[in-house]
Amino acid sequence: MRITVKLVGGFVQTMGFSQKELDVAPGSTVGDVLALLAIDPARPKIVALNGQAVAEAEEVHEGDRVLVSHVFSGG
Amino acid sequence: MDGWTGQFLRVDLTSRTHRVETFTEEFAYRWIGGRGFAVKILYDELPPRIDPLGPENKLIVAVGPISGIPAPNTGKTVVAAKSPLTGGYGDGNLGTRVTDQLRKAGYDAIIIEGRAAQPTILSIDDDTVEFLPADEIWGTGTMATNEWIWARYGKGAGVLTIGQAGENMVHYATVRSLEGRSGGRPGMGAVMGSKLLKAIVVRGSKPIPQAFPAKMKELGRDDLREVHRIDKELAWSVQGTTGVLPWCNEVAALPVHNFRGTHHPDAWQVDGERVNLARAALYGCPNCTMRCGIAVLDDEGRESEVDYEPVGLLGPNLDLFNLPEVASLNFLCDDYGLDTICAGGVLGFYADAIERGATQGDIRFGEVDGFKRLLGLIARREGIGDLLANGTRAAARAFGHGSEDYAMQVKGMEISAYNCKFIPGMALAFGVSPIGAHHKESWIITYEVNQTPRESYGRDKAQKIVDLQRIRGGLFESIITCRFPWVELGWGVEHYPVYFNTITGKDWTLEDFWPISDRIYAVMKLFWLREFPDTDRYADYPPAAWFDPANADTEGIIAGKHLEYDKYDSLLQHYYDIRGYDRRGIPTRTTLEQLGLGAEAAAAEAWATLT
Repeated sequence: MRITVKLVGGFVQTMGFSQKELDVAPGSTVGDVLALLAIDPARPKIVALNGQAVAEAEEVHEGDRVLVSHVFSGG
Repeated sequence: MDGWTGQFLRVDLTSRTHRVETFTEEFAYRWIGGRGFAVKILYDELPPRIDPLGPENKLIVAVGPISGIPAPNTGKTVVAAKSPLTGGYGDGNLGTRVTDQLRKAGYDAIIIEGRAAQPTILSIDDDTVEFLPADEIWGTGTMATNEWIWARYGKGAGVLTIGQAGENMVHYATVRSLEGRSGGRPGMGAVMGSKLLKAIVVRGSKPIPQAFPAKMKELGRDDLREVHRIDKELAWSVQGTTGVLPWCNEVAALPVHNFRGTHHPDAWQVDGERVNLARAALYGCPNCTMRCGIAVLDDEGRESEVDYEPVGLLGPNLDLFNLPEVASLNFLCDDYGLDTICAGGVLGFYADAIERGATQGDIRFGEVDGFKRLLGLIARREGIGDLLANGTRAAARAFGHGSEDYAMQVKGMEISAYNCKFIPGMALAFGVSPIGAHHKESWIITYEVNQTPRESYGRDKAQKIVDLQRIRGGLFESIITCRFPWVELGWGVEHYPVYFNTITGKDWTLEDFWPISDRIYAVMKLFWLREFPDTDRYADYPPAAWFDPANADTEGIIAGKHLEYDKYDSLLQHYYDIRGYDRRGIPTRTTLEQLGLGAEAAAAEAWATLT
């Protein structure tokens, strides 16, 4: 199934893309998506699924949008 | 006294005199510096209910014990006064060479009193204080003013300036420094202008008193390098603060169309990626190795240093999604010396009020030329600009027709670029910010959206706000450092007591700072109480628009959602309970005594009732 991954802030630079579609296996979780992208698990991050905060164990579904953001403290 | 020069410079612009005053070690450890010094001085010295733009007001320029020491992000200075925008306590910080130069000149603060007879530059060169004519630069923008001063004093001099907005006492005029630094949102630039003080120039040559200077030099150098390394690894400063924008858009927290919308499909056109791609130059504060001042070219080819707040409020909040156009509004604000957050809020409110028929005018959302023209009118106080120069609250009172409900301000100061229609904790953070709605005190929004049920009004959110206020509004604003290394790079807050101890020779832990933070917050509250003895908890409420079901999003992830009055009130009560404040939001007598503020409490009882 196909999902969209959107990166924010420094992740764009370090991962080399801003947004892309990704094919993942049915039953995949947010954590699986992060692992597939090889995002350092130790790196502080904010993750949202369709704009809502979720745990990494949350399952993703066809058409979902996963956002991975740098941690911010204001503008 | 290791850690402090132990001296204030008191300047009287009316009599063109000055004197050096000393303060005790007890005072230093009780108030630390920066905001702590400023609020204590202003509370003790200002008579109640003075005109903030009269000669009785005092402008404080204060540094802290780690200020100017080469170590991560120690280049900031606090400016403070009674605010013309809110009528209460006002302050802000900005990156400037004044920070290190003031300490080298031998002072921890300047207390500026009176009013000059003609436009003046205050020049401080170690022990020499001069009052120089500023006629040649009066009426010029901050960019030209800065260049004029640098040409005469060199780029190593510490410089604070105002633009035309400060000269004309626009209530949200800021103090400016370097290429793009700005501070003092609640009209500190207007107070400077009211005193006919165009610029402050500081040069110093003395050593900064430190307990262990060699150790501090090594520690500071190593940590500056480490912060730089982490920033390179995480690439935070590639987009700087503008990286926040797509997150806000994604989670429905972006201000769009005077905060009526929370997200927009075109927001990507002004996000951090576009800012980075358009990067023309990079600026930063002194002693910073993670510089975030990304300048882009505006639609007239001028360098404009943009951050998230101005982009959010001068962009999507005005239905503008063309980066060079947004940058042009940002440039004008910077050059006039207008606070970009307040200006964006005022422009959005005015366009909204016209759209809703509360007033008449030719300003429309999405039309940049009208907004450009309006900024000029505000800075010069011409036409409608004269009213809008007093902020959204004043304009709404003049317009009536229910427009106060969508004047997006708290205590008279415009809300920063986070739309909290359905983010109760961050709404409370704006509500209880001690200078009016500002994000710098407790940016709870990422914690709240990511780690709590968004719809919750639980005590944990109030506790988190207090925790953040203690760190950001208390510790960071008194020792004075930037908040960005802490969160953006994960640079632990435990580093700061290490710097403090190395400079002062003490052995403090973080826990030693929290009572001082609470003391500073309590005195800020007393300052407000003195100005508004009849104040109540409703002063800590955000705008009615966020509670209005009719203003809820009609689509998206928070469709139909809005804040609820009774729940917000219970959240506010949690905050008061944790702080030891009464139902009006005023520290109780017991709380004040526990914070060692018995004398301040006694003074407060001369004009208001404590419980």
